[in-house]
Amino acid sequence: MTEPFELTMEELRRRLDAAGITIVEERLAMVRKLLSDALVHVRGLDSRTIKTVEPAVRFAAGGEVRDE
Amino acid sequence: MSDAIAFSTIRELGARYRAKQLSPVEVTRALLGRIEKLDPTLHAFVTLTADRALADARAAEEALRRGDDRPLLGVPIAHKDIYLTKGIRTTGGSALLADWVPDEDATCVRRWQQAGTILLGKLITHEFAFGIQFPGHRFPPARNPWNVDHIPGGSSSGSGAALAAGLVHGATGSDTGGSIRGPAAFCGIVGLKPTYGRASRAGVLTLSWTLDHTGPMARTVEDCAYLLQPLAGHDPLDPASSHAPVDDYVGGLGRDVRGVRIGVVRNYFFDGVDPEVARAFEEAVETLRRLGADVRDVAIPSLQATHSFLLIMLAEAYAYHERDIREHPELYGEVLRERMLAGALVTGAEYTQAQRIRSRICDETTAVLRDVDVLATPTTPKPATPFALAYDLSFGFPKSNMPPFNLTGLPTLALPCGFSASGLPLSLQLSGRPFAEALVLRVGHAYEQATTWHTRRPPV
Repeated sequence: MTEPFELTMEELRRRLDAAGITIVEERLAMVRKLLSDALVHVRGLDSRTIKTVEPAVRFAAGGEVRDE
Repeated sequence: MSDAIAFSTIRELGARYRAKQLSPVEVTRALLGRIEKLDPTLHAFVTLTADRALADARAAEEALRRGDDRPLLGVPIAHKDIYLTKGIRTTGGSALLADWVPDEDATCVRRWQQAGTILLGKLITHEFAFGIQFPGHRFPPARNPWNVDHIPGGSSSGSGAALAAGLVHGATGSDTGGSIRGPAAFCGIVGLKPTYGRASRAGVLTLSWTLDHTGPMARTVEDCAYLLQPLAGHDPLDPASSHAPVDDYVGGLGRDVRGVRIGVVRNYFFDGVDPEVARAFEEAVETLRRLGADVRDVAIPSLQATHSFLLIMLAEAYAYHERDIREHPELYGEVLRERMLAGALVTGAEYTQAQRIRSRICDETTAVLRDVDVLATPTTPKPATPFALAYDLSFGFPKSNMPPFNLTGLPTLALPCGFSASGLPLSLQLSGRPFAEALVLRVGHAYEQATTWHTRRPPV
């Protein structure tokens, strides 16, 4: 079960500053909810439980053909 | 024109053309009249190409006289307005591109044209295939023919509305998080999101490179199969395009589904599902079982993290739009602008972790598809949303049953499986292994032939 997660308004403002983005005040709550919902599973993730080795590039035996 | 012609199938249209009971020019004129009558209410079209349509229809008549037997010859279609059309404006549903006239066709546009279709025009899309047009936008949103106070789904909103209202016989859609299947579900029609790489994205405005798919929308599964056929196949202009062999999608229909193993994914897809949707879905599953399918329950636990797909979509959408939205923020619609900008706030690490979650979902889904041939789920947890709710800023991005198949890239079909008590369509979602479009269409067709939902018409 993933823990609830909510981005704080302070963190949202820090991210806006870092990105050089301005969002009108009355839409900040909407953006905070959007990002909080999107981030909930990433924040709850122990990345060590997924994979320790992942491919950077995939090559198929046939050369250019990259279909699975 | 009788409703019988407006709602005829592609097979019926071709048979009547070749029996000289009907001509493409006659059908085109009648559809243009129907569009003139209904579209002021539905707003499905953003650009009507009447002259082009009549020229295409005359060319189709000539070809029919020569004995041309292409199945899509003389079939009236329209394109979602993120597909580039040479010499015809392509707005993306946006004020930014409101007057843009491309000098090339998207590959899918060219392929349908080469198949002999008649181009009626361009269909409204949610702005840049992402944000619904709020009141005051340059382009009004399409309305749902089943109830104009409800959204038709998006982002292929015009495609869904036009098909449900009998304004076209086929339409293109695009699907990044459900934009083919959502409108298909809400409008009571059929939509196929093919395997990632099966249909070309070249010449289609990008929302998210790793999630975008193109595909056909229609009123029946067989029509969808006809429309997919020329779209499928390698395109050197799309770097993700596959070399996998192309099946005969229409030829595979009609075979029964005895012994086909269908897995009902019991986790994730039933969270927050409306009781009417759940009941219609269970009845659909029972129908498939009666038809001889081997139906069993399966689970894909990692799907609970599906919502992190938003991080991928937001970050990639911002990457695509960064320059325009920084230089011309006023040309982006209300709310869409802020949603696009939110993509700039996703960190590199978060994007990467979302892709790793995606990788786990792909692995688990692949494992389940070793034991079953097709996955069955409800396409949407609820019927079409009222505009009043969609315009509420707190509505946000509710949990959706469609993104798992954008993350995995698997071929997925949405088709009607009932109606709510309020008369809104409900939908069944069928997914298969990579490039197994033929099997997914076959199962959908078998279900469709055993039911009558696809024969109902909206009250427009």
